[in-house]
Amino acid sequence: MTQSPTRARPARSVLAGIAAVGALGAYVLVSSVGLGLWTSLGPGPGLFPFAMGAVLAAMSVLWLLQELKRPSTTGEGADGGLVLAVVVSLVLLAALLDLLGFQLSMFLFLMYHLKIRGKRGWLSALLTALAGSVGAFYAFNYGLNVALPVSSIPVLNLIGL
Amino acid sequence: MDTLNELLNGFAAALTWQNLIFAFLGCLLGTVIGVLPGIGPVAGVALLIPLTLNMDPTGSIIMLCAIFYGTAYGGTITSVLLNTPGEAASAITTIDGHAMTKMGKAGAALTIAAIGSFVGGTIATLGLVAAAKPLGELGLLVGPPEFFALMVVGISLLVALAGKSMVKALISGALGLLISMVGIDPVAGAPRFTFGMDRLLDGVSFVAVIVGVFGLSEILSYRKGESTVVHAPGFRSLLPTRNEWRRSAPSMARGTGIGFGLGLIPGMTGSVASLLSYGAEKKFSKHRNELGKGAVEGVAGPETANNAHANAALIPLFTLGIPASPTIAVLMGAFLQQGLTPGPTLFTEHSEIAWAIIASLFIGNLLLVLLNVPLVGLWTSILRVPAPILTALILLFMVIGAYTINFSVFDVFVMIGFGLLGLALRHLEIPLAPMVLTLVLGPLMERSLRESLEISQGDFSIFLNRPISAVLIALGLLIICSPLLKLRKPKALTDDPET
Repeated sequence: MTQSPTRARPARSVLAGIAAVGALGAYVLVSSVGLGLWTSLGPGPGLFPFAMGAVLAAMSVLWLLQELKRPSTTGEGADGGLVLAVVVSLVLLAALLDLLGFQLSMFLFLMYHLKIRGKRGWLSALLTALAGSVGAFYAFNYGLNVALPVSSIPVLNLIGL
Repeated sequence: MDTLNELLNGFAAALTWQNLIFAFLGCLLGTVIGVLPGIGPVAGVALLIPLTLNMDPTGSIIMLCAIFYGTAYGGTITSVLLNTPGEAASAITTIDGHAMTKMGKAGAALTIAAIGSFVGGTIATLGLVAAAKPLGELGLLVGPPEFFALMVVGISLLVALAGKSMVKALISGALGLLISMVGIDPVAGAPRFTFGMDRLLDGVSFVAVIVGVFGLSEILSYRKGESTVVHAPGFRSLLPTRNEWRRSAPSMARGTGIGFGLGLIPGMTGSVASLLSYGAEKKFSKHRNELGKGAVEGVAGPETANNAHANAALIPLFTLGIPASPTIAVLMGAFLQQGLTPGPTLFTEHSEIAWAIIASLFIGNLLLVLLNVPLVGLWTSILRVPAPILTALILLFMVIGAYTINFSVFDVFVMIGFGLLGLALRHLEIPLAPMVLTLVLGPLMERSLRESLEISQGDFSIFLNRPISAVLIALGLLIICSPLLKLRKPKALTDDPET
């Protein structure tokens, strides 16, 4: 993924980044005008965002000019499989947290990461997942007085999940 | 005498068993974070903020401060034993520290580093005690215009934290400010950038953003590494020889001076302190020829400087409300979550809490030595925990942390979103440090600006008619313009891995 400095063209991901920054700047500029830049008492709610939108828009132009002159390197590419696995599992966990309750959803999440992705042995995976789900639930609920969610499904709720 | 009395009262408050446990747990967790490569101090402190939200403000800040300087020592352990710095400020210690390990002197290196950290940290905290009263008295003179001027100085540090590209630093800073502006505007009460979502009226949770941008994105950018075998040094080998003690003392003195001095200058990170201290050893040490080949000075100097810096950097935070480094900015965010505004008013409005925290810094530095040297075997065993288990457990903590801020799944989604944003910023080499700075300071700056202009009925000269704010604004502008004036940054700053 690392761009060679001798190549004259900026990396596609850099161009996408510049476009995103520029678009965000333009959006903020337009919407902050609607918030009101100045009131009779001084700066309105839109003034600070307006200034930030202007900074983003101006910097995206400068960045593009810099890139066209001398393409920069980008950071090392991430491991796509890892990103996908972590993000999708986290989104599913967050979506199921209130439905299945913390213990069951976190147990499944941890088992996925330990057994399927991490290829740990059954015993080690089960023990760690139980400690991280049931153990953490009781430690937080009773030790730290921090209530983690329980299942909204009556049957699961009845058995303490 | 007043200061002494206040400090003694602070000790009385800090020495309650709950606060001692918080300091102990903080040192423990901080060391673990420091030991784990990949989880830096910024993400580590942010990750643990939710655990402290239900505590009383004193206990919570005591614990977070302990975590903060615990990370500074934890990073040393892996630098010495593994040649892998647990965090950026310990990178330079790898040179002589790991060479000492190869010579069978790992235990001595770790002990010298721990004692150096203790010396540097304690002297820097004494500096905080001395500075607290006179600077704290300024609190009575600080109104919204002065507060705004202090925030201008704080934000101007973006220049120092910019790293290689000013353009990218400004993008990062502007993004941080925009994120902090989501929600009800603090003066007029108008909703901004809420996209019609009620949940966004209170703004985006600071903790969820920081955990996502710094913590989750770090996990997402993990690359497959080789597993390493670590051997902890035996207990007997922990004691340095008399010669090693004698050689370390001057290095510790130099390290304390450098770390303390740089800690007072906002924008200088711990990495710069340890790099410059190593440079000083190369110049002034009697055994400079041995540096790089396992000289104890190469461990004693940088490690002392690193911890002196960590503690001295709390001085601008406590007395002026200026966060000197990204980690301190996160710490400042934690203060704000607890309803405490660090800065001149801290000592007038919450004097008891402030002094209890200062007293706990002394206790924490002592705990760190008592805890770290004998337990070095335990710390190294953490590194033997297989990566999938560590990753899964860190993710578990992130989810609990994000969820418990408002007991809402929404914040978990916010964390995931900002994790992806952080990953994109890392890929584009946009520095994350300016973002955390503006995220914390932005709302304070905006509120004080608008309050000041309401007082003056829109007249900007209010900032120049009041001497303190005029001087501070001039200072801030000077820092911002310094790149134009060709006041060049030292190389150590440009190459600072923490930015």
